[in-house]
Amino acid sequence: MATKRPGSVEDLNLDALQELFKPHIESFDHMIDAGLETMFDHIKPVVVTHPSKPQKLTIMLKNPKIHLPQKTDGIARTTHGWLYPFECRQAKISYTGRFTANVCFQYNDGGKIGPQIRENINFGHFPIMLQSKLCNLKGKGPRELVSYKEEATEMGGYFILNGLERFIRPIIMPKRNYPMSTVRSSFSDRREGYTDKAVVIRCVRADQTSLTVKLYYLSNGSARLGFWVQGREYMLPVGILLKALIDTTDREIYANLTSYYNEKYEKGKGVVGTPRIGDRAQIILDELHDLSLFTRLQCLQYIGEHFQPIMRELRNESHYIVADAVLNDYILVHLKNNFDKFNLLIFMLQKLFSLIDHTSVPDNPDSLQNQEILLPGHLITIYLKEKLEEWLAKGKYMVLDEINKKGEKFDFTDSFQVRKILEKNHAPGISLTIENMLKTGRLATQTGLDLNQRAGFTIMAERLNFLRFLSHFRAVHRGAAFAGARNTTVRKLLPESWGFLCPVHTPDGEPCGLLNHMTHTCRITSFYDSQGNLKVDYKIKTSILNILIETGMTQSLPKILLPGPPEVLTVLLDGCIVGFIPSTEVEKVVAHLRELKVSSSAVIPNDLEVGYVPLSMGGQYPGLYLFTSASRFVRPVRNISIPSNGNENIELIGPFEQVYMEIQCPDGGNGGRKSPFPATHEEIHPTGMLSVVANLTPWSDHNQSPRNMYQCQMAKQTMAFSSQTIKLRADQKLYHLQTPQSPIVRTSAYTKYNVDEFPTGTNAIVAVLAYTGYDMEDAMILNKSSVERGMFHGQIYQTETVDLAERGSRSEQASRTFRKSNQDKSCPAIDSDGLPHVGQRIRPGEPYCSTYNAITNKTYLFNKKGTEDAYIDSVAVDVKNGKHLKKANIRFRYPRNPIIGDKFSSRHGQKGVCSQLWPDIDMPFSGNTGMRPDLIINPHAFPSRMTIAMLLESVAAKGGSLHGKYKDATPFRSSVKTDGEKSGSKSASLVDELGVMLKEKGFNYHGCEVLYSGVYGTELTCEIFIGPVYYQRLRHMVSDKYQVRSTGPIDPVTRQPVKGRKRGGGVRFGEMERDSLLAHGAAYLLHDRLHTCSDYHIADVCSICGSLLTTTFIQPQKLPVRQIVGLPPRKPPSKVACHACQTGKGMETVAMPYIFRYLAAELASMNIKMTLKLSN
Amino acid sequence: MEGASYARMPRVKIRELKDDYMKFELRDTDASVANALRRVMISEVPTVAIDLVEIEVNSSVLNDEFIAHRLGLIPLTSERAMGMRFSRDCDACDGDGQCEYCSVEFHLRVKCMTDSTLDVTSKDLYSSDHTVVPVDFSAADSSSVETSDGRGIIIVKLRKGQELRLRAIARKGIGKDHAKWSPAATVTFMYEPEIHINEDLMESLSLEEKKEWIDSSPTRVFDIDPVTQQVMVVDPEAYSYDDEVIKKAEAMGKPGLVEINAKQDSFIFTVESTGAVKASQLLQNAIEILKQKLDAVRLSEDTVEADDQFGELGAHMRGG
Repeated sequence: MATKRPGSVEDLNLDALQELFKPHIESFDHMIDAGLETMFDHIKPVVVTHPSKPQKLTIMLKNPKIHLPQKTDGIARTTHGWLYPFECRQAKISYTGRFTANVCFQYNDGGKIGPQIRENINFGHFPIMLQSKLCNLKGKGPRELVSYKEEATEMGGYFILNGLERFIRPIIMPKRNYPMSTVRSSFSDRREGYTDKAVVIRCVRADQTSLTVKLYYLSNGSARLGFWVQGREYMLPVGILLKALIDTTDREIYANLTSYYNEKYEKGKGVVGTPRIGDRAQIILDELHDLSLFTRLQCLQYIGEHFQPIMRELRNESHYIVADAVLNDYILVHLKNNFDKFNLLIFMLQKLFSLIDHTSVPDNPDSLQNQEILLPGHLITIYLKEKLEEWLAKGKYMVLDEINKKGEKFDFTDSFQVRKILEKNHAPGISLTIENMLKTGRLATQTGLDLNQRAGFTIMAERLNFLRFLSHFRAVHRGAAFAGARNTTVRKLLPESWGFLCPVHTPDGEPCGLLNHMTHTCRITSFYDSQGNLKVDYKIKTSILNILIETGMTQSLPKILLPGPPEVLTVLLDGCIVGFIPSTEVEKVVAHLRELKVSSSAVIPNDLEVGYVPLSMGGQYPGLYLFTSASRFVRPVRNISIPSNGNENIELIGPFEQVYMEIQCPDGGNGGRKSPFPATHEEIHPTGMLSVVANLTPWSDHNQSPRNMYQCQMAKQTMAFSSQTIKLRADQKLYHLQTPQSPIVRTSAYTKYNVDEFPTGTNAIVAVLAYTGYDMEDAMILNKSSVERGMFHGQIYQTETVDLAERGSRSEQASRTFRKSNQDKSCPAIDSDGLPHVGQRIRPGEPYCSTYNAITNKTYLFNKKGTEDAYIDSVAVDVKNGKHLKKANIRFRYPRNPIIGDKFSSRHGQKGVCSQLWPDIDMPFSGNTGMRPDLIINPHAFPSRMTIAMLLESVAAKGGSLHGKYKDATPFRSSVKTDGEKSGSKSASLVDELGVMLKEKGFNYHGCEVLYSGVYGTELTCEIFIGPVYYQRLRHMVSDKYQVRSTGPIDPVTRQPVKGRKRGGGVRFGEMERDSLLAHGAAYLLHDRLHTCSDYHIADVCSICGSLLTTTFIQPQKLPVRQIVGLPPRKPPSKVACHACQTGKGMETVAMPYIFRYLAAELASMNIKMTLKLSN
Repeated sequence: MEGASYARMPRVKIRELKDDYMKFELRDTDASVANALRRVMISEVPTVAIDLVEIEVNSSVLNDEFIAHRLGLIPLTSERAMGMRFSRDCDACDGDGQCEYCSVEFHLRVKCMTDSTLDVTSKDLYSSDHTVVPVDFSAADSSSVETSDGRGIIIVKLRKGQELRLRAIARKGIGKDHAKWSPAATVTFMYEPEIHINEDLMESLSLEEKKEWIDSSPTRVFDIDPVTQQVMVVDPEAYSYDDEVIKKAEAMGKPGLVEINAKQDSFIFTVESTGAVKASQLLQNAIEILKQKLDAVRLSEDTVEADDQFGELGAHMRGG
């Protein structure tokens, strides 16, 4: 054996872990590599026309560049070497790199085009994603990362903004460039005559900006194309568009529309056309005639006329140019060619009519089949594009303003002067808006960017524990718009998401089903191929086209009509109709494409989605839909239809094609078919359908499914070994488990994802018995000695940042320093430098830091908040600007060892609260081994919850620890074929295998042991199930939650106790609690709670007028002079009188809640008098 | 009612004795005494353990409480503990528990100066009293040199430049207060089993059935005599009262094949010490403490009037 110690940094295999973070990082990388460039190309140059002279200035943006993060001086803006994330976290600054771009000016002086003048403009400091290509940590190995004070397993994928780690949570979007049949009742409310049916397509440009276009069906048989321009939806008769797009004739349109209907097929398989199509085509064309539009030019003229007022930039252009711009910028924007647009529009119409005629079904927008994902890089790109466009537009108006204001003095032709104007347009603000977007998660946008939500895009990446951190990056949200929706259909778990989204790992409660997690095998397609090179869209498309043509596709050339299904199938490549394939050939073509996908020759990208929708009787609209785009879900499966030849034949499939594929699960079975399973593909491993966290539950296939869901929740709130760099972190709050262990019973995912680097619990000896009654109702008894020996010990680290630059004016900031006042001896915790000693204990309310203002000669003490003692763990100071300290991070450490009321859980959704720390000697003990359990849980936790895996874990861990081995507990083991292994023992059940392990070592086969009462020394009447179970300590601790109060702060208005634990308020005693006391007849208790312990008040009431408010105190004329020694001071006679009755005769004292008096006062303010009638 | 009927003379027979391990029989007494002995051994025999740590410098990766906790759990040789005073009862010092009668002072000063990590172990603790030192396992168990390396118990590992300097006070205490003062790693006892094989029924079994029956017990209690092919009891104490053989007999249709009873007055004790006190000493100390406790309970002669309260029990207690 080599001397290398196990678990050393070099041993880390981070490939699997890196794969999990890839969607985030690759999307950002693409933005840096190509996305920005593409986006800049798509930004329309701004043309400034001189109002009086025939001069034009075109302003363009070119050559975007984001630089590696560098340290900058606040004022001088000089750089001093690279900035590293660790420094940002400590100094609470953002991890940003300089963003520059060229602004090009080009003059057009009355037709004479001048040279391009380029100016490099600084767009500020752009947030950089960690471990992206621009991160200074990129490509660093684990050991190097450690030297940069990072986690050895630092995966990145998030941003650091003001020292906080935030990431962009991916959101589900409708699948791009796929026309979807949609039925939505809101469509019929659009206008008179609209039905609830439409074909919707979300068109995405190369720069990732998207525009959704809807083709509505009208009840009269026609169709309207709806598209959004500047926040308003415009509906155009589809005929106008068809004609405006290309030079065509009525006959051609008619023929195209009706081409997919043929009488001879009647109602066979895959027939989508009906005889009614002819009438509808007629109606569409008639509409044109009614508007007397016959030629393309007329149609363009019509569009231009109507859109000229809206297209502000083109107000002075001819109608044709406006119409052209409308067609280019708003209609089916993913296509550049008008001919392609025409074809797609025809296809959409055909699909729409088929939807109407019920020859195809609507596509489900909630199904993953019709969805993709919005990635961080893309979101930033589209947001940045809008901001840059706004910046350019604003720049244009500033120049025009300047011309208007200064007139001749301002030389428009001098690019230097123009640039000076643009400088006022605060270019660095662009990066700032991006940073703000990341900080708040809010998009400040007018157009909405074709997104369904404006807020909630970014989330804090909490490092409560590694699993929580990791699952952030695997989470996919359905969109905030659905969170508030009343109906629950969007939350449904649909079979389409099999293998892509984990059915187990979703929170219960309000985000249930909306916040999903990707399975651990699920990937997102990116712009990079498997070698990490940028894919060339054009090359890929031509090679796919060539292959299609080779295999028998008829290209869709102009003016060629082909019948539609069932004879031929339309082929769409990324939403562009490229041709037709005879339906008899299509299966062969699909198989061929799949073969090419799998083969290593890079002709066809391995993540091509071959969405073959076969002919059916009124199913999904048939066709061959090919997708090469990014941000699709894909997952690997094994293609078994291709001879293996030693290859694994792993094919990446998407949710769109998966629906129509035959994928075999490893446990065989024919899915209830009578005929043999015609499988072409095979799942690699059944655990592929689970997320990373769900994969960590041992034998989750033996648990009741909700328990596995609970475990996924609880794993993420476990107080665990959150970070190996915990000493170097300055997080607000960090939870830390002092003595974690690696679980004995573990799934293969533990090794694969290096979970042992961040263990989450302890192997505790758990006895399942009802002992002492303190384990009732999910309570659990901890062994006091075990706890004293360190079990579940932990700390909370909390950092307070004292920033002198934070408050007050600039001059005040300069005069402030960290210093302790010389006179003040009251705070021994603070050193002369104003900072506390490390290791010092700070009690609640004690000062821990002192600052001194040299001008006002005042010291300011920072007092410790909270109710707990804390220790100073570390003090970190910012020495950036030489002389004075300006910032200090003071980190407190709260010891949090288990106490009664702390929460623990096993890995099977079995949570419990510690009810007692029971003395070791009173715990039951085993006669043979003398072992006392660390933890006792009640057997009632099992029958109703059916967490069999927990029992299995106990037995397996017992066997494992006796044999000195880890025990593999990967779920679905029985389903996986084991050709190589001996099949005899595999047929036996899991328990049999585990039982034998115990029996070999002289233990009971079933994991039971005879225990003796620790108190009496007698044998317990039955055998007790005992064994090690991996237990997690959850972060919910009584110390953070307990609330007690006898007296305390009250609300000044109501005189009732204030609410809130922080302020020392009372526990709420609400209506339901009141009801229950009433039901018990506990009147005195009720009175005590609601009155005596609340706003008890003795009021003086005038019994004559019954008023509560008119009492006045009459000041005694003479102050009492006689004070006889030894006698209690004479109680002055009550001098209260009614102001209204002008007498004190009828005054009585009445005990009442103060709020009653308040009510009387409030009523009085509304001119309502409340009168009390006193009896007795 | 003078308590002759209650008085029994328990017998102890030591079977096996090592420094940190002991196995003995306790006969002619009942479970209450056996359990009391067990409980006292675990939680009431005093030892010395580090109780107060003053940390001067700690630049290690572990925080102060963690190191203090680890120091506390290091077993210290506590032969002297029975004679020491509890700091809370100590009148030699003014309550701070730092005098020679009730405490032992330790010092630890380690700094790593090399590039390789330095293990700070219990051997680096310097005691002010040579009788109270960290337990040295390497001497007692020289067979496993490879694993322990003779370096004691690791407290913390230091890398270059890190330093640990502290002063620790060890005090006398009992396991009831904190597990660190418990001298016993494990104390357990089992009832001695009485096994009667029904020979007639047993002979009705075939050899295979006998073997099968024997194998049903996870521990080797029974075996077959190679000569006579009769089932015999080889190791009754291996029986763990798991009833496996009885259940097996029932399943084979031979109920009553074997009868196993726990002797209510014989116990087999296993004691494992942490090393703080030798196992033999641990037992003696435990008996001593048990006696002291009983003495405290025994009522003095002048509380006869309390007889109404205690009834028969009072007389018994007075009689011893």
